[in-house]
Amino acid sequence: MSYQTGVCNFCGTGCGHLMQVENGAVRGVFPSSTHPVGRGRLCVRGWHIHELLNTEERISRPQLRTDGALIPVFWDRALDEVALRLAGFSGGEIGFWASPRSSNEDIYSMVRLARAVFRSPNISLQSDAWYRSTVEVLREGSGRPGAYGSISDIRNADFILVVGTDLTRQNPIIASDIHFAARRGADVVTLSTRKTQMSRLSGTHLQNRPGTKKMVLAALAKVLLEADRGGASSAAVSIEGSDAFLKEMEGVNLDRIEQDCGLPLPTLRETALRLKAAPKAVFVFSTGISGLNRETVALIWNLFLVAGKAGRDGCAILPATGVSNLAGANDCGAGPGVLPGSGPLPDEAAAARFKGLWGAEAEIGPGRPVEDLLADASSKIKALVVCDHDPEINLYADRLKSLEYVVYLGSYANPFTDLAQAVLPTTTFVEADGTYTNTERRIQLNRRKVDPRFESRPAWEIFSALAARRGAFWPFRSSADVQEEITRAVPAYAGATHAALEAAFGGIQWPLGAERPFGPFRFVEAGLVSGPAPAGDEFPLRLMAGKSYYYWHQNNIMKKTFIPRREYNALLLLYPQGLVDVHPDDAAALGLRDKRPVRVVSARGAMTPLVRVTDEVPPGTVYAPYFVGAMIPDFLVPHAGAVERGEDAVIPVRLEKV
Amino acid sequence: MTMHLLAKSDVPRFLSALSGRFEMYGPQVHPESGDVFFDLAADGSRIRLDAPIPVNSPKFAVFPHWERILSYAYDRENKEVKIIPEDLVRPKALVGVRACDLTGLLCFDRFFLGQEFVDEFYRAHRRKIFIVSVTCTAPFPQCFCVCTDSGPYAAEGYDVNLTDLGESYLLEPGSEAGRALAAELGLAEAGPDAARRRDEAVDRSISLFEAKAVENKAWISRAVNRLTTGFVKNETWEYIGKQCFECGACSFVCPSCSCFNIEDVNRQSGGTDRLRTWDSCSFEGYARMAGEHNPRRPVEDRRNKRFFCKLSYSQSKKYLRPGCVGCGRCVRVCPGDIGMTNVVTAIRRDITG
Repeated sequence: MSYQTGVCNFCGTGCGHLMQVENGAVRGVFPSSTHPVGRGRLCVRGWHIHELLNTEERISRPQLRTDGALIPVFWDRALDEVALRLAGFSGGEIGFWASPRSSNEDIYSMVRLARAVFRSPNISLQSDAWYRSTVEVLREGSGRPGAYGSISDIRNADFILVVGTDLTRQNPIIASDIHFAARRGADVVTLSTRKTQMSRLSGTHLQNRPGTKKMVLAALAKVLLEADRGGASSAAVSIEGSDAFLKEMEGVNLDRIEQDCGLPLPTLRETALRLKAAPKAVFVFSTGISGLNRETVALIWNLFLVAGKAGRDGCAILPATGVSNLAGANDCGAGPGVLPGSGPLPDEAAAARFKGLWGAEAEIGPGRPVEDLLADASSKIKALVVCDHDPEINLYADRLKSLEYVVYLGSYANPFTDLAQAVLPTTTFVEADGTYTNTERRIQLNRRKVDPRFESRPAWEIFSALAARRGAFWPFRSSADVQEEITRAVPAYAGATHAALEAAFGGIQWPLGAERPFGPFRFVEAGLVSGPAPAGDEFPLRLMAGKSYYYWHQNNIMKKTFIPRREYNALLLLYPQGLVDVHPDDAAALGLRDKRPVRVVSARGAMTPLVRVTDEVPPGTVYAPYFVGAMIPDFLVPHAGAVERGEDAVIPVRLEKV
Repeated sequence: MTMHLLAKSDVPRFLSALSGRFEMYGPQVHPESGDVFFDLAADGSRIRLDAPIPVNSPKFAVFPHWERILSYAYDRENKEVKIIPEDLVRPKALVGVRACDLTGLLCFDRFFLGQEFVDEFYRAHRRKIFIVSVTCTAPFPQCFCVCTDSGPYAAEGYDVNLTDLGESYLLEPGSEAGRALAAELGLAEAGPDAARRRDEAVDRSISLFEAKAVENKAWISRAVNRLTTGFVKNETWEYIGKQCFECGACSFVCPSCSCFNIEDVNRQSGGTDRLRTWDSCSFEGYARMAGEHNPRRPVEDRRNKRFFCKLSYSQSKKYLRPGCVGCGRCVRVCPGDIGMTNVVTAIRRDITG
């Protein structure tokens, strides 16, 4: 048969597909009708993944920079050079930047290389800040660093709360499940400032003022606390952490909610009571590039607890991951504050485990995120190992140029290679065996279907070869060997060997083996809730930044397809300087016209995109989907923190007619 | 034409006769996922004539998902372009094609071959195709071919049609090549009651639709009428468009969707490939023209384009039959739950309230 089973490698939903392989090349893709997640569906990205896999814009050969130019070399020469150069730095001077698109085996090997060979604890995952804080909240609240419940819980849910980014764009098949649930009568509530397809498909759209998501969530929780007051069944009070939570809630003034958030209190009250009454409730929110900050996720979790949903059958909290293996990368220790499968460092049990697995010399303490090291002028970072970078928010271009040594590993041509002294080509997910973990902790195996194109090699093999050159001989002859070690290194993955995953079509959800179930549940500190700073006269409008449909990872990947690239270009050609969404009332008041330039001015910067007049944003709000690279350095970068704060970031601006 | 009986025990001999001269394609059950795919088979033994309707239509055999249609190299020094045509099309036997999918191929013939411009790449495939169709004796839950005049029995377009009569298949040659194959295999002529038994099997199959092809499906002819006369309300299209996820799946699984994209790709090894790949009218960039003009920019306009295409113009107005062949695949793959039957339901509600 020419169709071979696999898992889509774009977002973290983890839909099953079948690749059509002919004469050693991928020639088409179809959804699997029997796969437990996709159940016969793929999104626009998934339907075109074969176009990406056939691209000629690949990094084809190992290259070393000589006299300013990258020169192709043999693999051995490249590996010798990289191992030697990296050995010239102390552990603290090297940063490792992992990719959430890499397989668990590749991530784990990179972590082992960093910590056990070059003794650097400075490992982080690109654009993972939101997810890292999300899993920490869930670990504190539920005992597990990952989704609570499953995507399939959406199918039977009575109440579904969607918070934030348009899921129909980020995780379309999860959004599809929610849409089907709504069509059979589930109560779907979306909390978002913009009108999106997700909000249009919901029965209730809570369209809050920008920057007030946290307040709305707090108000919903407070309504439930008040409704419960005096009742003997005040279950929430008996949950650990309730003292701090109740104190936080004291500061929430329901009488001011409408004024602050723009949502009538009766609507919120009614919504909260419907949630309380629903036997099966599922909360879904986005992570990744337009994710939610720690406090907002903590409030989502606390609301789930107050509503009495934790521990109940059919209830779930799903942090929808925007990239294929964001969840798995986190499980496998791609973070400065964790080891594979550990709690926050220091973690004594994990330390003992890794001394055993990696040797006594391994660096098992906490490090710093690469982003922090690059941003901190006084840090002593001198070298960087980067895998498959998405140049989405290149905030650190100047610092990167000043580094002494940068190694880039990746499959696809990427402007990041301009900054690298060594470039090593890696295989794609159809050219090597590898496991990937989706939003709902589902570990799935992607089998090698075609030979590696050009001279690419699996990343784990490259890391293994570098380790050997530094005298560390790892016992890996295949990625199955690496995965076998992961099943011992990450307790929740116990038993998830390639053989076990191969036997289970659709994969296996962790925790496995002797691992305990979720719980005990506790409230997570969310901090005091305050309203957004009032808009002043000078900057009367509030600007939110987010992503648009085809602008997925700065489009470095999408630009290598045909159809998604064309769709991106259709948008780009209409708005070549980028666009801002402005409500018709604001446009009329300021005399702005559709597709005409406007100057957006804030206290720190200015840009001149085109106007798109639309009622998708409420009056007083401007939305900037950042699909044009220049918008980032010219405008968003000076607002340090705005990008990191994701969806909750609001920048006061004024619009000037040009 | 003379009809023959093909004993079920003779099916392997029948298939091996074909595999001697064609690449064999047919329905197969995927060993891991259980999905049924219409796919290339190393030999006939993997082909399951009784398998459920495949998730993919056999259109890819004549209209590949991804196809190099030619390659060229530019010689800079001499300023010459050398064009290398593709001539790798091999003869294929499509075995176990359902009437709906065969009807889809006939739509393709009219589109690619029946107009002023003849598509030579399609023709190269089409001329080398041997089609063994099967009469559908049991409809599946999403099927509605009886409502689109495309099954369960194929009236035309096959080289050989098989109808399951229990212990044997009734083999009806539909072309000279089919007749020659029957003669070569020395198949017994079917008796005088064969046609009656076939018709009974077809009638029985049609009767099974009654429980499945309920209200919305029976409204297909009405939907054709409303669409063609322009009586579908805008709100109905907006209601449908709002639910479209713009993934293109409906077009990709459709046996009669023929839209394609052309890309020239420069190879790292030198030279350029001209590729033809599947496309869909649900995409915004599909209808975009020079000068920023897009006649179908809002999603509801792109959505209704597809339903006009399936139920009204092109096929219906030109060829007096719907472009939809009633296979129901779009129902199964649509993330927005707006497969053909739900669209027909929406149109019905817009009339009946």
